[in-house]
Amino acid sequence: MTVLSVQQLGVSYGGVHALSDVSLEVGEGQLVGLIGPNGAGKTTFVDAVTGLVAARGRVELDGKDLTGRAPHVRARRGLARTFQSSELFEDLTVAENLQVTADPSTWWTTLGETFGRRPSPNPAVPEALAALGLEDLTDASAHELSQGRRKLVGVARALAARPRIICLDEPAAGLDTTESAELGRRLRAVAGAGTALLLIDHDMSLVMGICDHVVVLEFGKVIASGTPAQVRTDPAVIAAYLGASAVQPATASGTSAGGSAEALTSTPETP
Amino acid sequence: MEPILLFAVLGLGQGALIAGIALGVVVTYRGSGIINLSTGAVAMASAYAFWALTTGFFGLTLPVGPALAGALAVALAVGVLTEVAVFKPLRTVSPLAKLAASLGVLLTLQATVLLVFGVQPQQAPSILPTGTVTVLGITTPSDRFVLAGLVVVLALVLGALYRWSRFGLATRAASENEQAALLAGLSPNSVSMANTLLAALVAGLLGVLAAPIVQVDSMTLPLQVVPALAAALFAGFTSLWIACTAGILIGVLQSVVYYLSTQSWFPSDNGNAMPGLQQLLVFALMVVALYVRGAGLPRRGELVEQRLPAVPLPERLLRPALLSAAVAAAALVVLPFDFRQALTNSMIGMVIVLSYVVITGYVGQISVMQLALSGTAGFVLSHLSVGWGIPFPFSALGAMVLATLLGVAAGVSALRVRGVSLAVVTLAAALAMEQALFNNTSFGGTAGVSVPPPRLFGIDLGPKADFRGLDGNEPSPMFGFLVLAVTVALGLYVAHLRRTGLGRRMLAVRSNERAAAAAGVDVRAVKIAAFTISSFIASAAGTLYGYNFGSVSAARFTALAALGLIGFAYIGGITMVSGAVIAGLMSTEALLPHALDKWFGIKGTWALLFGGVSLIVTLIANPDGIAGAAHRRRTAKRARRAAALTGPPADNASAVGSPEIHLGRTPADAKEVTP
Repeated sequence: MTVLSVQQLGVSYGGVHALSDVSLEVGEGQLVGLIGPNGAGKTTFVDAVTGLVAARGRVELDGKDLTGRAPHVRARRGLARTFQSSELFEDLTVAENLQVTADPSTWWTTLGETFGRRPSPNPAVPEALAALGLEDLTDASAHELSQGRRKLVGVARALAARPRIICLDEPAAGLDTTESAELGRRLRAVAGAGTALLLIDHDMSLVMGICDHVVVLEFGKVIASGTPAQVRTDPAVIAAYLGASAVQPATASGTSAGGSAEALTSTPETP
Repeated sequence: MEPILLFAVLGLGQGALIAGIALGVVVTYRGSGIINLSTGAVAMASAYAFWALTTGFFGLTLPVGPALAGALAVALAVGVLTEVAVFKPLRTVSPLAKLAASLGVLLTLQATVLLVFGVQPQQAPSILPTGTVTVLGITTPSDRFVLAGLVVVLALVLGALYRWSRFGLATRAASENEQAALLAGLSPNSVSMANTLLAALVAGLLGVLAAPIVQVDSMTLPLQVVPALAAALFAGFTSLWIACTAGILIGVLQSVVYYLSTQSWFPSDNGNAMPGLQQLLVFALMVVALYVRGAGLPRRGELVEQRLPAVPLPERLLRPALLSAAVAAAALVVLPFDFRQALTNSMIGMVIVLSYVVITGYVGQISVMQLALSGTAGFVLSHLSVGWGIPFPFSALGAMVLATLLGVAAGVSALRVRGVSLAVVTLAAALAMEQALFNNTSFGGTAGVSVPPPRLFGIDLGPKADFRGLDGNEPSPMFGFLVLAVTVALGLYVAHLRRTGLGRRMLAVRSNERAAAAAGVDVRAVKIAAFTISSFIASAAGTLYGYNFGSVSAARFTALAALGLIGFAYIGGITMVSGAVIAGLMSTEALLPHALDKWFGIKGTWALLFGGVSLIVTLIANPDGIAGAAHRRRTAKRARRAAALTGPPADNASAVGSPEIHLGRTPADAKEVTP
């Protein structure tokens, strides 16, 4: 069943087309990768889907139209996201960070709390922390965490809302290889529990290793879409990552994009 | 038509002063990213210095030339001091902290001038030609044209300097990207110093030259920065040319508005000209400027670590609240009458600072208007109870609801304006309300309007009630008890707010509006809630002010008083209820200044000076305020004790995980958070 359906999404800054007519779908429990060289429009895509950037086109969640809705409305409907630079709420503890997304906030609950009614503890918070192995950080202050931990807390914060889908913007950046593999295992488990995931990352062994489906963006356009195996051998993708001259596999040697390109063309170990 | 033209020309003098200060504001902003509220105070300082040197105040009378040099030297000295002692140490703090620091400079300068020269405004001698010229058939003083021309020349020279000199290039580079400029070998400190000195020189020169036209006054001159800020907003804090033109035009418009308000067809205030139209005009212009230029200031690529003061979770609430309430209640009976009065004043001060804890501490927005809302509530209370005869709890509640509605309306219209812009525009609003609303005799008036004492079920709860303290004097402890009950209830509420979901959402909005929205937080609703709560608390303080003195007068709710209160709130600790308690004790006519006055003969002006200096010191050395520092010490001590109890850290390493994460927060802490 399709959870997120994006049709013909377009974003322009002045005369620059940051995104043009990008469409994709993510199904229940599915893990879709969104990759592309720097500046391809991946983060703009997530910003547009979550409503932080004005965009043309149509965004649907569970078949319901979200086009034109405010970001917080989309989030409450079950469209969660993480940020490239974590963007944690620095003044709150880790648990409080999660509570912000987990707790329903209506006029009624706010009024109740004002007069001292204690809301029952929300099980979504410890569940989300456990899903990412962060139980020991519950009472830590967000601004005391290391960069890698901040990323994980960001994912946990999105998960605590019990969303239908999470758009993950480079969750593995700043993690080392083992941590990245560990994150991949945990994301697979999250997807297995039914939450759809859209994963943006430069760590190709992570993306190729865990995703069911991969979409490749270049200059704001989809240039390839398919299973990791199909995308890996797609000439357009190899050209995008290595430059047009490298389409002959024999000449593929390390260039500026070498690191990720090697991972793209080599067979990844599945975790 | 002719008189309008005449008033327009007369307004050129005021306009030149505003334009000069606006140039200073823009130059400082380009050099260091600081919105310098003290630019008008620099003009005041050098104007006073010039007046003193030419009139023999210090014992010797200098001719105009050396006196002018001396006055400019004073402006430069202020510039150097500000740069070295305030701006340089605060290079990397958040824009709001920088704004607060410049407020500290303003208060310090004003207090110094008051201490040296007294409160009396002075008439300075004129340097400019005193003749008249006839233009388009009207005869006007020629100095207005000279002044306006001079400011335009200054703007052109500054513009050329930025455009063609190496110094200008360095400034432009630094304001584009401070980090890159640093790597390219430009020191942000020397760029900032040079610009601050230039700004001081321009503001100081205009202060001296325009002083004969506008009077040398320690109350009005520092606040000339408000119309200057309007001009700077039109200029986007970058264009010298627009800042200069807009400044002159604002002066001209103010003068014309004044002329129109004296006409017979214009609505009047009991036969006199409507007060405060100039300030209303400036406020309206600022709103227009924000609308035209967009709410955001141009972002400078700065070396900023955007750390706002921490907001710790309050651990225990009821015990300290009941303890301090019991102590205060006893003190209200036992203390002599003057200290009783000072204690009551302190508690009312605490309530108004609580409103800043919510809006500034929790949501990170500086609203200078809150004290003006208190004033509104006070005046409305007087009208409701005297004019309409509404009895006590309802009159107070009605006044609070009305003033809160005004605060919410202001908050809703300011939703897109945030941070420093909000502080600037609410400062203009506070000034407009002070001049146009409170000084208007049909609503308020400087003489004050009376407020009958509160009575509930036949019991007098006012300061003149029959039950007197041990010394049998007024004020009655009964009123103190009423204030105490309100203070404790609101204090508990604000502390409790930090623990609720709304409190968490407020802090989420404070640290990152985008991320908060993406996390499902309705940022607008949270801000409106914060404005509502903060305005309600401020209104409560306003009604208490009214009952306290049996009357409400405009003098208590001035924009300058509001700035002073924000300063005290920062010193006490703007994010915590305990900080509000400390700030309340320091506020005007509260316990601390009263004790200093009574025991050591230290007057209020010294307290103002002390407040200005300690605001700067607080921002540099201890941004969390006194309450924040005390909280840190407590948690550190408890952490040590916990460590001593549980033995060497190796034992619980498995439970704690990486040790750095638990700095300052122990499992023992966590337990007390949710008792």
